[in-house]
Amino acid sequence: MTVASVTTDINIGPFKIPSNAQNMIMNNYAQRNKIIIELVIPEPIMSDQLATTQWVTKDFNISGIVLCSIHQLPSKIEYLNKIILKFENTFFHFAIEGISGKGAIFLKNCFNEANYFRNAKFIDSTKTNWIELYKKLKDEIS
Amino acid sequence: MSLREQVIKSPGYSITKIPNIKKFNQLRDKFIEKMGIEKKSDDINSIRRDIALMNNAEVNKAMINLLSFDEASEMMIDACGDIVKELSGSEILIQRRANNIFNLPGKEQRRQWPHYELMSGISPYTFVLWAPFHDLQDDAGVYYIDQEESFKIIKKEHDEGLVNGPTILNMMHNQKPAKLKYGEVIVFNPFILHGNIDFNSDLARVACSVRFQNKTKPLMQKNSDFLKIYQLN
Repeated sequence: MTVASVTTDINIGPFKIPSNAQNMIMNNYAQRNKIIIELVIPEPIMSDQLATTQWVTKDFNISGIVLCSIHQLPSKIEYLNKIILKFENTFFHFAIEGISGKGAIFLKNCFNEANYFRNAKFIDSTKTNWIELYKKLKDEIS
Repeated sequence: MSLREQVIKSPGYSITKIPNIKKFNQLRDKFIEKMGIEKKSDDINSIRRDIALMNNAEVNKAMINLLSFDEASEMMIDACGDIVKELSGSEILIQRRANNIFNLPGKEQRRQWPHYELMSGISPYTFVLWAPFHDLQDDAGVYYIDQEESFKIIKKEHDEGLVNGPTILNMMHNQKPAKLKYGEVIVFNPFILHGNIDFNSDLARVACSVRFQNKTKPLMQKNSDFLKIYQLN
């Protein structure tokens, strides 16, 4: 039974995390949660299918997968469904969100949450200032 | 004036009773359990006395133990459900992990210097709940600068091209922390200046805080790292 950590593209949803920093995040999570990582899987850039992770299961009996974030799950449901089928009994850990679990319901909840944040409206903090932000709150009540 | 008007308009905060005190009691009990420290009794003041004697490494260890207290955030939101609904409705985003905070007595201890919550990257539509796990009889609590004064300082700093500059950082002196009773909570908007001061006591202060906002309102820098979706019943 092997626990693997998975590094991916530097662009992880809203975050930009180089792979060495991804490893730092996942190793810190593993240490805090007393998880021993035995395998590091590098996924290619510009793909969110986690295809390499699925492929290596023929050589390793993977019991746990550590990722940095729920934003590293596939963005398309058909690819997520493949993950769900392949890793039915595998424990998934998402270090930044600090959550873990297994099975279809858990992974679909994570997928839906990532989707929500992907589509949420954001204030661009580089194009505003404190006075404008204050006005936004004040406009809530007139 | 309604709670919503107090928190958004003036003075920018409100001290009120925790609507579901049973839930808050559960939160406090679970907090004590999750700290994982050796304790002589489950009485909160006895535990506060133990914490006050801890060194910084021991405090950090207890704080790390509390990182696994995932339910704290939801328990605090549920305990204050009616307040949250009035400000942000039932479909909300809440802080993924509540802040469980120790404040140790004495001059050499770490303090939360004056700041606005907005500086952390939450949106201007976010509100903060803060409640102690015991009565606050000394100056261990948090002081709050009302909306009008807080905005004057924001404006002054803005004109000088500063955010949380020396004007704010030098405000730690002569402040009077609010003396909340157990079962009371303060709810405030992210533009309210607040912080701690040194205090003398044999007891540490322990408290919990959590942030929330309406789900349909825009976010700012905080994302899934900090927030999660939550539905209030």
